[in-house]
Amino acid sequence: MSETIKPEKYFLRDDEQSYAFLADAIVPEKNCYGKEIQLVDENNQLAGKSLHINGDSSVSDYADRYKQHGFYFNADNCISCHACESACSEKNDLPAHLAYRAVGYLEGGSYPSYSRLNISMACNHCDDPVCLKGCPTRAYTKFAEYGAVLQDPDICFGCGYCTWVCPYNAPQLDMTKGHVHKCNMCVDRLEQGLKPACAAACLAGALDFGVTETTPENRQQLKTQIPGFPSPDITHPNIRFQQTKSLPNEMRRTDSVAVKYQRSGSSGEYQAELDISKADSAKYWNLKKLLSSHENAHIIFTLSSQAVIGAFLLYMLAPLLGLEKISSGFNQAFLEIFISLFALFSLGMIKLNLHLGKPQRFYRGFNNWRLSPLSREIAGVSLFFIGFAGFGLVTVFEQYNILAIQQVLNSKVLRVLSMLTAVLAISGAVIGLYYMIKLYLIPTRPYWNHWQTASSFVSTTLVLGAVSIVLVSSLASRQIEPALIHQAAIVALCGLLLEAAGLIVHARDLKKNKGEGALSHFEQTTRFGNAYVLRNLLLALNTVGLSIIVFAGLTENYAVLTALLLMASIFISALIGRALFYVLVVPTSMPGAFFWRNKGFQQHARETGLAKMQQVGVLPD
Amino acid sequence: MLFGRNKKNPIKIADKGVVEWKYTTCGYCSTGCSIEVGLDKAGEAVASRGVGGADVNRGKLCLKGIFEHELFRSAGRGKTPLMRDRYFDDFKEASWDTALDKVAAEISSIQQQHGPDAFAIVSTGQIMTEEFYTLGKLARGVIGTNNYDGNTTLCMASAVSGYKRSFGSDGPPGCYDDFEHTECLLAIGSNLPEQHPVIYWRLKQALEKRRFPVIVIDPRVTMFAQMADMHLPITPGTDVVLLNALAHVILDEGLEDRAYIEAHTDGAQEFAALVAEYDPLTASRICGIDEDTIRNVARIYAKSGSAMTIWTMGINQSTHGSDGVVGINNLNLITGNIGKPGGTSLSITGQCNAMGTREWSSCSGLPGYRLLEKQQDRKDIADFWGIDEEFFPKKRGLFQTDIFPAIETGQIKGLWLIATNPMTSMPNTARIRKTLEKLDFLVVQDAYADVETNEYSHVYLPAAIWAEKEGCFTNTERRVNLISNVVKPYENSKADLWIFNQLAKRFEQGRKIRFPESASAVFDELRHLSKGRMLDYSGMSHQKIKAQRGIQWPCSEADETGTARLYTDGKFQHENAKARLIALPFVDNNERPDEDYPFWLNTGRVVEHFHTRTRTGKLGNLNKFSPTPYMEMNPDAARELGIHHGGYARLTSRRGDAVVMVQLTHRVAPNSVFIPFHFHECVNRISLGLLDPHSRQPAFKQAAVKIEAAASQAVAAKNNATSRTY
Repeated sequence: MSETIKPEKYFLRDDEQSYAFLADAIVPEKNCYGKEIQLVDENNQLAGKSLHINGDSSVSDYADRYKQHGFYFNADNCISCHACESACSEKNDLPAHLAYRAVGYLEGGSYPSYSRLNISMACNHCDDPVCLKGCPTRAYTKFAEYGAVLQDPDICFGCGYCTWVCPYNAPQLDMTKGHVHKCNMCVDRLEQGLKPACAAACLAGALDFGVTETTPENRQQLKTQIPGFPSPDITHPNIRFQQTKSLPNEMRRTDSVAVKYQRSGSSGEYQAELDISKADSAKYWNLKKLLSSHENAHIIFTLSSQAVIGAFLLYMLAPLLGLEKISSGFNQAFLEIFISLFALFSLGMIKLNLHLGKPQRFYRGFNNWRLSPLSREIAGVSLFFIGFAGFGLVTVFEQYNILAIQQVLNSKVLRVLSMLTAVLAISGAVIGLYYMIKLYLIPTRPYWNHWQTASSFVSTTLVLGAVSIVLVSSLASRQIEPALIHQAAIVALCGLLLEAAGLIVHARDLKKNKGEGALSHFEQTTRFGNAYVLRNLLLALNTVGLSIIVFAGLTENYAVLTALLLMASIFISALIGRALFYVLVVPTSMPGAFFWRNKGFQQHARETGLAKMQQVGVLPD
Repeated sequence: MLFGRNKKNPIKIADKGVVEWKYTTCGYCSTGCSIEVGLDKAGEAVASRGVGGADVNRGKLCLKGIFEHELFRSAGRGKTPLMRDRYFDDFKEASWDTALDKVAAEISSIQQQHGPDAFAIVSTGQIMTEEFYTLGKLARGVIGTNNYDGNTTLCMASAVSGYKRSFGSDGPPGCYDDFEHTECLLAIGSNLPEQHPVIYWRLKQALEKRRFPVIVIDPRVTMFAQMADMHLPITPGTDVVLLNALAHVILDEGLEDRAYIEAHTDGAQEFAALVAEYDPLTASRICGIDEDTIRNVARIYAKSGSAMTIWTMGINQSTHGSDGVVGINNLNLITGNIGKPGGTSLSITGQCNAMGTREWSSCSGLPGYRLLEKQQDRKDIADFWGIDEEFFPKKRGLFQTDIFPAIETGQIKGLWLIATNPMTSMPNTARIRKTLEKLDFLVVQDAYADVETNEYSHVYLPAAIWAEKEGCFTNTERRVNLISNVVKPYENSKADLWIFNQLAKRFEQGRKIRFPESASAVFDELRHLSKGRMLDYSGMSHQKIKAQRGIQWPCSEADETGTARLYTDGKFQHENAKARLIALPFVDNNERPDEDYPFWLNTGRVVEHFHTRTRTGKLGNLNKFSPTPYMEMNPDAARELGIHHGGYARLTSRRGDAVVMVQLTHRVAPNSVFIPFHFHECVNRISLGLLDPHSRQPAFKQAAVKIEAAASQAVAAKNNATSRTY
């Protein structure tokens, strides 16, 4: 006996049980962050519309449709049976290597007085969705219906920036498909009056779902935090917790992240701390890991774009600081420098673009310019590139009178063109650089979330800008011009001093940060300790070298060799520094399990070949 | 409010395009959840969901059930029969006729040369009741070997044996509804949330309505132990001592149900005399639970209006497994907690149809809980099948765990394995390999051609799996439920029932006996043979079972529906209708840790595994939660040995060695480790599996091992990856 599905409510099973239905609740007006729970009223233009899920144009008449909904997790009860995760993966037809919902855990105490705290986590459909704000393509939408934050993989170009900013590891970058996808709150089930698949599948009375800020039947608490869960201040997540059972003072993670959670005596809250027991305090080079990370494209892009922007800004603005020689040095070999910078910049852009999951969608990068620092960075850098290319072409055409341009356009027009492109390039450079810095100031990434990111990027702009001009101009003229070198050295020295100041304060502040920031610092002095020391040494040497040039001048003997060595040293130091910047960042993350969502195991599986088997659930490199 | 886009795109959500849902019952554990499998337009199974109106699971499923539809097309399935002359030759594909002719010929030849019992059959708890019954008919009525058993010897044999000793018959007397009535729940060696998550959910639902004490006895701090009101971290292998001590306190303090004992039990005096020796102080020194706690638990249990005990492998897989079950029954008999709502001894069964094989497969006797030892039972069945009563042996033959040693020493020459994988599941893998090499003829009948035991077979018969067939399973609470046919068997695989029937035709006696072709026609024979007996099926039919989402036996012709509990009238299955209180002297024959092997080795299952992972290991969404063998070890112990979290360690025992990844956790005692046992070439390389004298079930959970860091982490990692490849 088989029944055909009823298209109108096909999720509704025969004899559907009460636990599966969205429950009625008395809803407060505002949530604990002071935000209205009713997102729009019924007369709003956003209300009364169909979600058009898979071509279905019906509209649910559920009374609370425009109220913010969210998950409720009773941490007292979760047994880590994986039913929620599995129901989610089954419904969304997900491959083994990826999941919208994951259960990880913390454990503490000593046998037999041992406690394990399991945490089931998916998307929290936040009041302040940082994913939506960060996404450059506008793939994210927060719906007035249920307050669901939905992501559209058909828009996404796979940059993964949302995975950087989300504190809950909700967005999943699927490397096999080149785009992100994530929890969709099962809005298709909600439209049929049913809770999401995960909540309906829970076997322990742990996971529930409903209008946010309402306590389910038989539950006592509406907490916004439990140990292992990041600060709700970042995004105002729509998840509420119960966690009444006493836990040991120290709760450890079983995954490879060397962070534990320590109960503070005064507040009783658990704070992230470095878990030294997991860490190896020997110093290593780890050069392979350092230089072959997934973020290589970012290393190349930031270094090259900053060098080019720096060179151009110095060319345009150095005379204002009395450093005319830099501009004239640039001018002397304008064609060569322009072509070199153009090539360098193109390389960075191409690398960055190819790093996208879907490079052919690169043009969508500006879409979210209203909200996303990444969009603005892309816009700024692109403006710069257009201005810079235009300026360069105008200048070169003029210099060499290509196509008899001086006759075709009078000099006034050429002047205006030159001015316009220069202004465009300068404003693009400023905007681009500002948002290039801004986009790394992410609360979930303490290593980056510091003014040192700004000092480092500005420093690279100055140092590599000056070095580029000197290098190409000297190569083009096959001679060293002491005045140019002197002025460039002043700029570079300022840059290095800024970098050094930033690094010193950064290291001091990281040590004060107890959790992931402290872990980043620990890693920079251990796992990548030798590279870190080398970079610092080079930085010091370069500073000394440049100081000598600035204050005593470049000695005539071995001038070429000294200059070349110094430039090479500056370049190596910048490269190592930038590689460290990407490899050392430890994002705050939801605790994983021993195998699932354990970065250490994933890496091990890739190294040993276990990952080649799809059933292991780890994507190979 | 921030919305991102005001003009919204349509939403796309994965749609599997289910056009039809088909009713069936889950084929993993014996919780017995009703499942519907969703078929798309092309008739492919693409989704699974729980059945809302099924009393057992009420719409819920555990992760294995959630992905069960993926089994039909999972990797490693057998496509066609395979044959070879010697186990080290390459397989050649064969037709069913050729393969079955070969099997029949080899069985006859071995039996002619070495006697009827030189060919052994080891079956399973995985196939349908109708198939078990048919296999039993073939084994007992046609082939006539007395060395015929099921792999239930590895899981529920101790429960069967304990029930028989106490109550005179197998058959769990309680049901899940007892959670709604009990005033105290004692769980011994049951990790319910992990092994039977849906039963745990039923318990949790009862607890949400009404609080009652939950006491968990387990050497490991499982999630159940953590959720319990009291956790008793017992010393491995000493449950009987604790149970005796609980009885001691109850009798000593006069908390027993004297009227019930007098009316319904035998042996009270001898029992009292024995438990008198197990005062809480004496017991505490053996079982590691302090005397105050023992007294407290005994009092809570005895003073509860109703109290129940559940257990699983923690009791069964022990050299005192059968005694442990009897000890639990003793406890419930002296407190009058049998056959009343909320008062019961409920074994939480392992395999989906372990109950079906116990009831109908004739492994340990004859169909319908009949015994070979009883003349009337032999006559009943011989008459019904139309064979000579003398064809049956008068005593049951070897258990599974005795069949292998008999192969080892040459008394058994041929073996037929049905849906079981001793290469992974039996203790002491090296010995099993050596044993299987010695067989003149091995037939492996399994849904998976890559089942590890197939390495030693001469003929491989590809079986259909789960809902590629039709038939019934009986669950933990005696509920018979229906698996309806959802999809066609994979490639050229065949239903086990068809295989048994075709093989029967190849024997002269098989052509004389009726072997019905359809499962429902076989079911009619079960109804007939169970009429008026304790396990009465006569009121059931496939249709009625489906309509009621399962029916609990007994269900007589007069009954509209099934029966929740057994022994409600206090009448038991022993001749005098009384239950027996049995004295259980404790002899500590566990392989205890010593200087050479200082750690207790505990083994068990984890929620995402089942039945040597032939199925669950193939589904990435299950396997990913534990894709590689690992060991839970206490960090304090590991520190002394230089063993690291996430590294590899080597364990050695008196049997051999195993290399596993290490997970450091205080969940286990400093002198104890835990390793999941469904990984091939893993913990059973070192387990001992001392046999229970009554049930012949191996003690998988008590052995002594030595532990060291793997000499080379890189080599260990490489070997591990290689051994997981398929």
